[in-house]
Amino acid sequence: MENNSIQNILESLNYFTPELALMLTFFVLLLVDLFFRKSKYLLPAISLVGFIVSGYLLVYTPDVKGFLFSTGMTNIGLYVIDPFSFFFKILILLAMIYTILFSLSSKEINEAGGNRGEYYVLLSSFALGMFLLTSTIDLLLMYLSFELVSLSSYILAGFTRNVKRSAEASLKYIIFGAVASGAMLYGISILYGLTGTTNLYLINFYLSNQNIESLPLVIAGLLIIGGIGFKISMAPFHFWTPDVYEGAPITITAVLSVASKAAGFALLIRSLKIMFIDYTATNLQSSAWAILSQFKWNELIAGLAVLTMTLGNLAALWQSNLKRMLAYSSIAHAGYMLTGFVILDNQGIMAILIYFFIYLFMNLGAFFVVMLIADKLGSEEMEDYTGLGYKAPFLGVSLTIFLISLTGIPPTAGFVAKLYLFGALIKAKWIWLAVIGVLNSVISLYYYLKVVKNMFLRESEIEYSHNLGHGNLLITLSLLIPTLLFGIYFKPIIEFAEQSVRIFGF
Amino acid sequence: MSGIPYLTLVTFLPILGMIIVLLIKSEKIQLIRITAAIVTFLQIVIAALMWSKFNFSAAGINDQSSFQFVEKVRWIEIKNLADWIGTVKIDYFLGVDGLSMPMVLLTALISFLGVLASWNISKGIKGYFALYLLLDTGMMGSFVALDFFLFYVFWELMLLPMYFLIGIWGGPRKEYAAIKFFIYTLFGSVFMLLVMLGLYFSTYEILPDGSKVYTFNMLQMMNPVNYSKEGLLSPFNPNNLRFIAYIFLFIGFAIKVPMFPFHTWLPDAHVEAPTPISVILAGILLKLGTYGMMRISFPIFPEITNQLAYWIAVFGMINIVYGALCAMAQKDFKSLIAYSSISHMGYVLLGMASLTTQGMMGALFQMFNHGTITAMLFMIVGVIYDRAHTRGVNDFGGLALQMPVYTGITTVAFFASLGLPGLSGFISEAFVFLGAFSNETIRILAIISTLGILLTAAYMLWTMQRIYFGKLNPRWENLPDVNKLELAALSPLAVVVILFGIYPSPMLNLMNTSVNKLVEIVVNGQVTFSNLSALIK
Amino acid sequence: MTTYDLIFYLFALIILVSAFIVVAARNIIYSAFSLLFTFFGVAGIYVLLNADFIAVVQVIIYVGGILVLIIFGVMLTNKITEVEIKTESFQVLPSIIISGIIGGTLVAIFTKTNWKVAEPQILDKTVTEIGRFLVSHYMILFELAGIILLVALIGSVMIARKEKLETEEVEK
Repeated sequence: MENNSIQNILESLNYFTPELALMLTFFVLLLVDLFFRKSKYLLPAISLVGFIVSGYLLVYTPDVKGFLFSTGMTNIGLYVIDPFSFFFKILILLAMIYTILFSLSSKEINEAGGNRGEYYVLLSSFALGMFLLTSTIDLLLMYLSFELVSLSSYILAGFTRNVKRSAEASLKYIIFGAVASGAMLYGISILYGLTGTTNLYLINFYLSNQNIESLPLVIAGLLIIGGIGFKISMAPFHFWTPDVYEGAPITITAVLSVASKAAGFALLIRSLKIMFIDYTATNLQSSAWAILSQFKWNELIAGLAVLTMTLGNLAALWQSNLKRMLAYSSIAHAGYMLTGFVILDNQGIMAILIYFFIYLFMNLGAFFVVMLIADKLGSEEMEDYTGLGYKAPFLGVSLTIFLISLTGIPPTAGFVAKLYLFGALIKAKWIWLAVIGVLNSVISLYYYLKVVKNMFLRESEIEYSHNLGHGNLLITLSLLIPTLLFGIYFKPIIEFAEQSVRIFGF
Repeated sequence: MSGIPYLTLVTFLPILGMIIVLLIKSEKIQLIRITAAIVTFLQIVIAALMWSKFNFSAAGINDQSSFQFVEKVRWIEIKNLADWIGTVKIDYFLGVDGLSMPMVLLTALISFLGVLASWNISKGIKGYFALYLLLDTGMMGSFVALDFFLFYVFWELMLLPMYFLIGIWGGPRKEYAAIKFFIYTLFGSVFMLLVMLGLYFSTYEILPDGSKVYTFNMLQMMNPVNYSKEGLLSPFNPNNLRFIAYIFLFIGFAIKVPMFPFHTWLPDAHVEAPTPISVILAGILLKLGTYGMMRISFPIFPEITNQLAYWIAVFGMINIVYGALCAMAQKDFKSLIAYSSISHMGYVLLGMASLTTQGMMGALFQMFNHGTITAMLFMIVGVIYDRAHTRGVNDFGGLALQMPVYTGITTVAFFASLGLPGLSGFISEAFVFLGAFSNETIRILAIISTLGILLTAAYMLWTMQRIYFGKLNPRWENLPDVNKLELAALSPLAVVVILFGIYPSPMLNLMNTSVNKLVEIVVNGQVTFSNLSALIK
Repeated sequence: MTTYDLIFYLFALIILVSAFIVVAARNIIYSAFSLLFTFFGVAGIYVLLNADFIAVVQVIIYVGGILVLIIFGVMLTNKITEVEIKTESFQVLPSIIISGIIGGTLVAIFTKTNWKVAEPQILDKTVTEIGRFLVSHYMILFELAGIILLVALIGSVMIARKEKLETEEVEK
């Protein structure tokens, strides 16, 4: 039996290569950093190569749709590889690659001196943690990878030296994060106590075959949702977001707002879908939240979604700091995406996937432009953007397009994202939720346009000229073109998302 | 589809122009202007060609085969998806009938004249014309799109250029006016989006290969047979939300019209916008609201249209009287015209609500006439503002002797606006009232609305008197008369106004068949759609 | 109530009281020493659960390693022994209400729920079993824990070095 399980693990490793590549990157970076501190481009180059290799392995890994690392009855597996995780891994890799590219031209990062090495090391461990989160089906592995992601991001958020708000952000993040992961661990322990297993599928099996009191299950579910909700900055666990996003270096803010949120959503969808859906039922479509039917999970989530988007949007209205505004807007976007989670059928999940894919480009784009301007201007205050559209037309127009896309106005990709999300809601007859959603996007228009107004509708005498350089121009374009193109021709994303909604076993 | 894709040309020509404008160096001001003028002029040429080839007996409305210049290409098609979603398809589907053809002509005409009126814009010319042309595409596209999704994309495409055009080139309170315009219209259109999605998930289209797919095709949505059993907006569904959806959709369009009480963005936007943008706004954009009602609300929800026609007429009446009263109280020439627009759009609502051929025809014709007349009026305001840098109605006086040509043209516009027989405004208003009187339920509203004619005459003549007659204010002794460019922009409109006042048949013939069909659909559709609901209950 | 239960409750009491002192003490040294009893109490419960290896590890690592490190840290830091740490409470009433509700729910859960009880197993070689589990069943978790510790190490080094660099800069 022992040999057998070793054999199984070794076989599983064949499918685990993308993660192994990330691990290898992590160690190589650590070692290289020891010996070649001075080189500016070596570390980012290694990270990029690592991520690309991992992506290559990801694409060419056979799609097994099976359990990895299963070693007999007590452990039927820890990890699955399915189209769903593939989608999120691609998303995460893209976000990571962009982050590395951003970091190359970021003033904050380049002036960090001696700590630059750790920055790249931690980015790769961050990526590894998120990879694991998207595919884990075991509560233990889930918790550990959650901690890996959290630890890496705590340190990254406080990365910039000598910046007080960065240190403050990091500390706040750690305290909130510790509470959140503590809560999640508590929920996990209750679940384990009820079912005696940490495997999501076995939990589901046990829950659907045994009569279980609803109270502990509800509490456990709430605690787990709360812990993950912290990662995706869902209200009322969003308090850390503005401070951390404002304090962290912009590159990290960008990656936190996209990749870490994506990993959180992947985990949320996978764990709740597997645990709480009675998939012995014939029609999986209607069986959403089948276990615990007496507790209205989806209404709870709907309420949280409304709270999240409304709080995010209303708070964003009053911000004068662009980074902080984008932080609140990212809370609001998490709220929109949660509405897709309310439905939890394939249509809803597909809408979330589409939203994320588009959100990646538009949000990273907005952050990148803000970063470029902040490096030059030394400020992220909206006041200082006055008349900027005329001094730096390309950046001004790009930022406008990204913001319009975030609002969700055609012909930008953001519209397609909202279209599918609200479409899913309408189809599932959650009319009131859809109405609140669209009203929220009207509110969001106001604060996004405030930036545009400052850039174009006002003029100022300030001297500002921006020599973008080819690299930054290319990066901006590579984000801008998908934002526009997917607005007009969105077939590829829909198809990709459609193929990716298949969670293993469903 | 065969031959020249007229509609694609007429819609996307401005985008082409925009690209060219963007490629020209911003120092070459004259070249940019001329490019824009050529592009929009070509638009007129194409529109005129279409008019000459138009088949007056083809009705359109809900029947693809009688639409003209139809272009239908699969835009997005996602096949072989899992069974829970089926095939997704969105068509690039353009076509015109008697409802949209007048609007296409109007758009082409006003866009070109708007370029002429923009000649003396001095700031950021390149950006101005690029946005202007983008706006042009949005407007034209909305009028010719027959796929709801496509319509929505064009509809929203107008917002951003308009925001910038008001916000950058506008007057002192431009920021406020621009954001107000944007928020208001977006507020309306997001509700439209929800209705669009609701309709999408309620209607099926049967493809040639026999498969049933959800559809954004407006024409399919007009046919009750295509609705699914359990669709949210399906008449077969006893718990359908068609009534609420109608209200949502109506609000979306009413904001554009603008209908009382959603009108407050309009005076701000008009007063702050530069002259050519006011011209576009009043001349074309407002028409999109009423066009949307005719094209979408009425034939897709005929039974609710019947149910609510009375209330639409009530709002039409309020618009007429309230707009006229407000106009009377204005001291700013431009906001006076803006309120008169609100009043005149009330006639359109009243005519539509009568659900008779005359009324509907009057409404459609009024849309065209109001487009031309108000465009003229705003240009007239622009002319005087350029010279005097004030728009106070009471600041002037006795301009008739100082600027005779200008006064002559103004007179035409004013009289057309107040509905003097022999000018185009009279014909359409007469039709509107004919229709409204013949419908017994709204007759009393029509009678009250005639008050509006009186009020319009009053404020128009009063304004005329204050600005053009009386003693000349010595401040304006050196005001020059209209120059050639302004004359070039104004006179075609004057010609159109007079021509259609004397000989309206070409335009009426253009509309006749389609309007008849529309009325028939709305009236009969009531029977079909309500019978379906009754059958279920 | 058997002797077994009695011992369990004794340990539980030790843990609770000493943990409370850790939080409530005004002097950091007292907190640190009180933590000692908490760790010992936990080790005692492990022994009761027949988890001898874990109990030993608990004592060696937490008491022998971490706690000693904390006390060293406290001792070596200038003047920290005299610093009055803030342990005042604010928002007393709301927090009592909220924690009361949460605590009540948890107590209700613990008393009323039918927990899944595993068959008691008497293992003679727990160390071997744990080792076997860690390198077969939970190998990936074991490796991951290693990476997490490494990341934590890097992070703490970074934070520590940051301080040093700053002081150097100030000195210059």
